[in-house]
Formats: sequence, structure tokens, C-alpha cells
Amino acid sequence: MSASADAAAASVPGSNLGVAIRRGLTDGAGVVAILYVILFTLYALWDRSALTVSGVTNLSNNAAPLALAAAGESLVVISKGFDLSVSGIVSLSNVLMATYPVEGPGGALVSLMICLGVGGAIGVLNGILVAVLRLQSIAATLGTMIMGQGLALVIMDAPGGTIADWVSYTLTDVLFGIIPISGLIVLAVVALWLIFRRTDTCLGVFAVGADETAASLSGISVVRARFAAFVGAGLLYGLAGFMLSVQTATGNPTAGTPFLMLTFAAVALGGVSLTGGRGSLVGAVIGAATLMLLQKVLFSGGVSSFYTGIFQGAVMVLAIVFGSLISRLASTEPRA
Amino acid sequence: MTGARPSAALQPPADTRRIGRIRSETISTAAIFALTIILILASRFVSPALGSWDQVDTIITLASFLIVVAFGQGLVILVGGLDLSIASMITLGGVLATTWNGSLGSEWVLIPAVLLTCACVGALNAVGVIWLNIPPFIMTMASGIMVASAALGYTSGTPRGAAPDVFLALMKGSVGSVSAVLIFVLIFVLLAWGLQSATAFGRRLYAVGANREAARIAGVTTWRPIMAAYAISAICAGFAGMMLVGYANGATLRMGDSYLLPSIASVVIGGSSILGGRGSFAATVGGAILLTTLGTVISALGMDQGWRTVIEGAIIVGALLILREDLVARLRNRSAG
Repeated sequence: MSASADAAAASVPGSNLGVAIRRGLTDGAGVVAILYVILFTLYALWDRSALTVSGVTNLSNNAAPLALAAAGESLVVISKGFDLSVSGIVSLSNVLMATYPVEGPGGALVSLMICLGVGGAIGVLNGILVAVLRLQSIAATLGTMIMGQGLALVIMDAPGGTIADWVSYTLTDVLFGIIPISGLIVLAVVALWLIFRRTDTCLGVFAVGADETAASLSGISVVRARFAAFVGAGLLYGLAGFMLSVQTATGNPTAGTPFLMLTFAAVALGGVSLTGGRGSLVGAVIGAATLMLLQKVLFSGGVSSFYTGIFQGAVMVLAIVFGSLISRLASTEPRA
Repeated sequence: MTGARPSAALQPPADTRRIGRIRSETISTAAIFALTIILILASRFVSPALGSWDQVDTIITLASFLIVVAFGQGLVILVGGLDLSIASMITLGGVLATTWNGSLGSEWVLIPAVLLTCACVGALNAVGVIWLNIPPFIMTMASGIMVASAALGYTSGTPRGAAPDVFLALMKGSVGSVSAVLIFVLIFVLLAWGLQSATAFGRRLYAVGANREAARIAGVTTWRPIMAAYAISAICAGFAGMMLVGYANGATLRMGDSYLLPSIASVVIGGSSILGGRGSFAATVGGAILLTTLGTVISALGMDQGWRTVIEGAIIVGALLILREDLVARLRNRSAG
């Protein structure tokens, strides 16, 4: 596929289709999407139930929390930063939802507001520390992550509590008998991203991530771009915590811990450059979905759950090496 | 602009950077130890049992694991990295020491074998960081998860076996009226401080951490000190795991978890730059003892683990903020002088 596309692009210099295909592939999002399709085909061959509505809903419910968290992380990574506070925010919102369950549609809205509030507040704190006070992002967000995890432990010192029934049933259900609601929520975030992409702030985020000095010299407010990235990320982590609670229907003060590594794996797999300035939220979302699907494939392939960590770690390292290879190829090839 | 002050351009100011660095490091080390002593004395108000010599002995014993781990973490941070695999490496050291105990003949074969295994994982971290260009915290996080999962699979969930006698003696024994671990900590700190501050190897670590490109031009083979730092960090963590096994007489799969974040916190509180190239081990030791003391005081106050974690996070952020001001002041001095 890609070889013929490359050949077409080479034989017809300036061919718009060739350029578009090549850009799609080197963007990373295209590559990971192909990977997802291959994995899904494998999974469907193994397990016929994957193609039913409940199979797809399951996959979507499973992947939604990580996809949202990875979407948030991609914003910060594009602005050339790392945000470790994701696990603190997810744990904190999960614990809050399990401690104060509120029933009904109004309850869902209240819980959602609480989660977004927690995420937004920690995001603002991160933004102040990193964008305004110029602390190194890993160190500062490590501090806020630990504080978030600590607060989660203060609120709930052992796993327990329940999420309101209405909330957890409705939001894991399907709409019109075919569309998973969790998938719709992720799609809504993707739609917001596509709108955000057209704003000056988003341009600033990309510019700051690619070259901070150049961005600042061209009149872009570095502080504003970084701040926006951290706050947006915090809100999305809150939403991820909300969707995780909906899915697990219980509280756990360490619920967010696995997210730390998985979000970075998803971001790297989704073709977002870890050195900043390049990538897309969509890629990170597909990367997250691929990781969760990989887990399912490994399970149905009969790999002991003891060893899933080895695969996750290996996939993470491979994803980054693969991603940097692709971007190196993209930067060395002549401009079409 | 510069032309307006020709005299300043003609006579460059004396280079006081090294003196300035030494002074600020001495001050921060002294400050952190003073803070620890004040905290120990003040803890008498919390409970009369605290603040005694026995308590100091207990604190040093509890801090010994953290001091050993923080040395390795400090070296990795010094070369501009971050080691998140430490928790798993502690577990690996402990699990291997108990499972292999007795099957390798002598303990003097067992201990090097365990440490060598740890060093290999550390070297793998370095390979990923140096040649595959993977950000250090991601590489070490990935290897940490892989090692943890390997330890889980290897032990099928329940580690078996007893601690090697050497470590039982180290953690429980005493020489005269002084506990053995206190003497060990003293020797370890002296050796580690000497390695970092008084050898050519130590200077290369600082050089690589401060500016890798400049170090390369100055003739340092930059991958060697970086790889050494990651390997030493893994060895230290594995050793701390064996110490923990000697202390608790058995391994658990989560035994390393509570040392990862404090190891980073100790280094940061000790005034090392998280960007690398700056820091002293003496101050890191102070940071480790301060954190441990704080932990015992918090437990004595009856506060739960959650608050302890919150305070730890706040301390990291606070230390970063204070150090930042320090940096700003120094930059201002330099441009003024």
C-alpha cells in the first residue's frame, strides 16, 4: 500500500494525493490507524463476538478513559512538556465520584462538573508552576501528581464506595441500540479538537512546542500557550476519571496509577513527537484504543495476565523508537 | 549597549562561579541538616518517646534504604535523567535475594549475582536513553513495569524464601552498642560522597550533566558516565531491596513502591538541579533523613498515609520553587557583576 503510494508520489512530483497520503502516513496517526485495523482484524478472527454491538461497546467503554487521558497528555506533549499529574487527577476524580454518588441525569452532570473542576484546578496549578513560574514540567507535575494521589488517599484510604447506578448504567450503554455513548463522548472531544485546531491558541501551542524562542520572537505568548495546554489537559484528565468511574462503578484511590505509563505509550504510539511541536490529539486517541485492544488480543491469545506489563513496556519502547524513525524519515525526505 | 561600558568589557570580572557554587551547596546542606535536628527536637512535643537517641537510631535505620536508593537516583538526575524503575529494581533485588538464597551455594556468589542482574537492567535503561533517544523517565518507567511484571510472573504472585544471613546481620545486628546499619550508612555515605565529589569519574558526571555537548568536545566519552549512572542506580536499588529483605526477613512484590517518589524528593530537596549538572550527595543524605523524620513525626501525630503523601508532593514543589528563586538571584548577580 504505502510502497505504491510512495511510488506514485515520486513519479508525479507535486501530486496532491501522493502528498496527502504521505503526510497522513508520516503524521503517525495514519500509521497507528492501520495498526489498529490489523489488530482488530486479528481480534475479530479470534473472537467472533468482537463484531457484535456489545463487543464494540465493550471495546469503546474500555478504551474511552485512556483515550481521553491520552488526548489531554497530547496537548502538553505538543507544547513540549510532560504532564505526570494525570494519575493524580484520575484517582482523585474517581474517589470523589465514589464517595459522593448522585443519582439521575442531574447527578451525572454534578459528578461531571466535580471531575472537570478537580482536573481544571490541578491543570491551572500546573500551568502556574510550569508556564508562569517556569519550573521544569516533569518535576512540577510530579509534585502535583503526588499531591493528587495523596488527597485521593485522604478521601478514601482503601478501595470501596459505589458510583451512582443511573450514571454507570446509562453512560456505558448504547444510543439507538447501536452507538456506544462512551465512543460519542470521545468523538465529541475529537470534534472540539478539530475546532480548537483553527484557533490562534492552538497555533501557539504548536509553535511553542517546535521552537519556544522563535515563537516568542514572532509575538506568540509562550505563557498563554503553555497555560492553555495544561488547563486543557487537566480538564480532559478529569473527564477521563469520570469515564473510568462510570466503567468500573467503584472507587479506588490508586485507580489512576496505570494511566501514567499508558498515556505516554498511547501518545507516543499515536505519533505525537515527544520532543514537542508535532502530532495530533486524534493520533493519541487512536494510540490509546490500540493499546487497550492489544491487551484484549493478548488475553484472548492466552498470555498470562502476569506478563501483560512486559508487553506494555515493550510496546511503549517500540512505539517511541518507531515514532522517531517515522519522523526522521519525514524530515529527511525532499519536499514534494 | 555594551559599548557604553568599555571598562567592563576590557576587564572581565573574576570567575567566582565555583566559589559561589560551593558556598550555596554548603549552605543548603547545613540548612537541611539543621532543619532535621530542629524537627527531631520539636518532635518531643508530639510524643515524649520521640527525640531520644533511640529514635535517632531508628530514623537512621529507616532512612538507610532511602539513602542508598537516593545515591543512585541522584547520579541519574546529575547526568540529566530520572530513574522511575527504582521501585521495581528494589523489588527485583529483594525477590532474587530470597528466591536464589541457598540455591547458589554461597551468599558471596548470591549477592554479586543479584547486583549484576540489576546492573544489566540499568545498562539497558541507558541504552534506550543514549542510543534510542527515549526520554529517560519513559524508558525507566517502561523497564520498571517490565521488571515488575517479570517479578510477578517469576514468583507466581508470592515470593518465597528467607533473607540472606549477611543482610539479617546487617539490619538486625550491632557492633558493641552501635547498630551495624548505622556504621554501614556512615561508610556508604563517605564512599559515595567521595566517588561523586572527589574522583575524575564524578567530575565527568557533572560535566556530562551540565552540558553534554561541551563535555564531548572536552574529550569525555559521554555515554560511559551516563551508562555508569544508570547501572549504579539499579545496583543501589537492588542492594536496598536486599537490605529491606534483611529488615523484614522476606520479600513482597510491592516492597519498592514507597521508595521511588521519596528518592526523587530527597535529591530535589537536597538542592540538586532536576535538569542535571548540579547537586551534592551530602545534601541528598540530609534530604533523605529529613523526609524519614517527617514521616515518623506524621505517623506519631496519627495522620494517615494520604496526608504524608500530600506533604511529600508539596515539599517537592516547594523545594523547586525555592531553588528557582536561588537560580534567579544567581543569574542576576552574574549579569550585574
